[in-house]
Amino acid sequence: MEEKGCIGIPRALMFYRYFPLWDTFFERLGWRVMVSEGVKRKEKIIYFEDSCLPMKLLVTHAVQLKGKVDHLFVPRLVSIHPTYIMCPKFRAAPDIVRLATDGDVSILDETVDLRKGGIPLLRSFLKMGEKLGASRLESKRAFREAENSFAKFQKDWVNRINRLPTGQLFERDIPTPPPLKGSSFPAPARRTRSLAGGGGDKGEEEAIAGGEKGTGNSLRIAFIGHPYNLFDVDINKDLLALAKSLEMEILTSDLLSEKEINREVSDLSKEIYWSSGREIVGSLFHFLSGGVDGVVFLTSFKCGIDALLQEFIKRRLKVRGESSLPLLVLSFDEHTGREGLTTRLEAFRDVVEMRKCDSQKVTWSYSR
Amino acid sequence: MKVTFPHLGSMHIFCKAIAETAGIPYILPPETSQKTLTLGVLHSNECICLPFKIILGNFIEALQMGADTIVMVGSGPPCRLGLYDLVQKVILEDMGLHYRWLTIPPRLTWKAMWKNHEETKELRKELTARNVLLFPYGLWMGWKKMMACEALERLAMKVRPMEIKKGETQKRLKKTLSWVDTAKTSSALEGALREGKALLQETEQDHSRIPFRVAIVGELYTVMDPHINRGVEQKLGELGVEVTRTSWFSTHILRSLRRNKADRASERVRSFEASKAYLGYDVGAECNISIGEAVLRSQEGYDGVVHLMPFACMPETTASGILTRVGRDRDIPILTLILDEQEIEGRIQTLLEAFVEMLEWKRRAA
Repeated sequence: MEEKGCIGIPRALMFYRYFPLWDTFFERLGWRVMVSEGVKRKEKIIYFEDSCLPMKLLVTHAVQLKGKVDHLFVPRLVSIHPTYIMCPKFRAAPDIVRLATDGDVSILDETVDLRKGGIPLLRSFLKMGEKLGASRLESKRAFREAENSFAKFQKDWVNRINRLPTGQLFERDIPTPPPLKGSSFPAPARRTRSLAGGGGDKGEEEAIAGGEKGTGNSLRIAFIGHPYNLFDVDINKDLLALAKSLEMEILTSDLLSEKEINREVSDLSKEIYWSSGREIVGSLFHFLSGGVDGVVFLTSFKCGIDALLQEFIKRRLKVRGESSLPLLVLSFDEHTGREGLTTRLEAFRDVVEMRKCDSQKVTWSYSR
Repeated sequence: MKVTFPHLGSMHIFCKAIAETAGIPYILPPETSQKTLTLGVLHSNECICLPFKIILGNFIEALQMGADTIVMVGSGPPCRLGLYDLVQKVILEDMGLHYRWLTIPPRLTWKAMWKNHEETKELRKELTARNVLLFPYGLWMGWKKMMACEALERLAMKVRPMEIKKGETQKRLKKTLSWVDTAKTSSALEGALREGKALLQETEQDHSRIPFRVAIVGELYTVMDPHINRGVEQKLGELGVEVTRTSWFSTHILRSLRRNKADRASERVRSFEASKAYLGYDVGAECNISIGEAVLRSQEGYDGVVHLMPFACMPETTASGILTRVGRDRDIPILTLILDEQEIEGRIQTLLEAFVEMLEWKRRAA
């Protein structure tokens, strides 16, 4: 198919979950997709507003793409779940980008609101297709294909996290390495994240691949946080690679079904209404109740949701006194250095190992 | 049963009036002080917004004084205010403080009423028939007092820039507010309001001055509570600025009761419409209103806008970035003050003085 032009996708925020979906959709409609490179050494982060680091990075990436593309794709993500919503900052993301780029570039800012009474996802994509000059049928077909490719990508996701360098996670040309046989632990049920979010529990029971070594020496550590905190190397200085080098096997909330997450947060006196916040609190409580050797919680400085929920998690664990698993809280900003991070993670590993050797010993680690 | 409630501007007068009239025992938390703030900061995360910390501090102090029932307004998504109670409850529990919690629903829906019904089951046993019967009268009395307070505060905003002796208006305002607070009957209240208005107007004034007109916009808690914003309103007034704001306790009550037809509420609608030039969606809380109001004020010929927000406030952080652009586009000076627990009263004074000086230059150049 002849190329119609170029669409830029900033490598920031929910790129780290939905890129395969977006990428396939635009490609099928005949557009070339260009992804921003990221902040290189000595390159400056653009401060349009005094927000959290992920938001600042969105602006930086968008400005990077400004002169090179025909359209910039910055969706207005109001809600990606039938009931719960996203952080309010996402609602203004396209407006912020528009102001920061001085209106120099056309921005595709379709609203995504999957709440009941909101907009079905297909309609958002159809509208986008319309703006790009595609017919309804073409858009629909492209969307179906995008859905399939997203589902396929999700299937391999946990395996990819453990078997590929962080930088290559979203390189769709790079195939997922085959899972290693000889997994040393009982396989948890895992879900394929459905696009409509939530809904039925479509998780297929499926064994996930073993750790790097697959010999049982590796520690099973759950890494919890917003997807951009987990996978953006500009934010976390490639914490995942560091973890892998320390022989940690990475588990994420992607492993848990919606049901499992809901079980942990359903008895709260008030419902947590951010979908990401629910996922974080639910999966933290889930993993802290067992099944892993330790839990790491990644947060960005000034993230409103995390700040509030972090206090909640900390206090509730204290009040209930149920978990004795080591929990490490890492909070990132643009000054985070890899060295400090290494020290933290190594110390954490020691704690986890000590506890594993002497399971009677109760350890508590809380630091930032 | 001893009821307590957080501080918010002169809201305690409203709550106190209800409790007093209905004969419900209550404990008024001590006036928000450095100690309150320290308590709140100690028991929360650094990046939680300032109102959370202050409200928590109020509760801790009140509970330590013997209160046992907390009454708190609820709120909804997307701002963090909606989850304050979830987190504050577990913090108080962890501190070993005993309390009962009563949420006043932000919107009167059946679901909220039912939850309220469940929460108040225990409490209602402790209420006497007299309490229940007098409650509507208490509400009415509270509302009247609230309106009286707001009328006086509005008047003070006008008088302050004209006053000859600095600080005189503030002194008089305090006195008149205490009159309103202590009024027991409806007629006494009317008298207090009348006398209060007269007292404020009698302040020695220099009517030859042409005050600057500045609008205060931003997160409602920081706008409404002089303890949190370190008296920005008073400071500006004493620098010769006539301050306006649209965020009042009554506006927010009317809004949650969906009484949006009142003209003050419709100002919000106009602000929201005006914000559409910069924002394509309702971000939540006061974000759109802050931006819209700044746009409107620039059209109305105001001299400047002061934007107040707590550190790390989610919607207002978004607004602050956009407001910088609004100021540039519409040629109106906008000063954003980010408030947190740091002792920054001196810095705020300096910033405001510089801001007013800038307004003076601008006026002279015009």
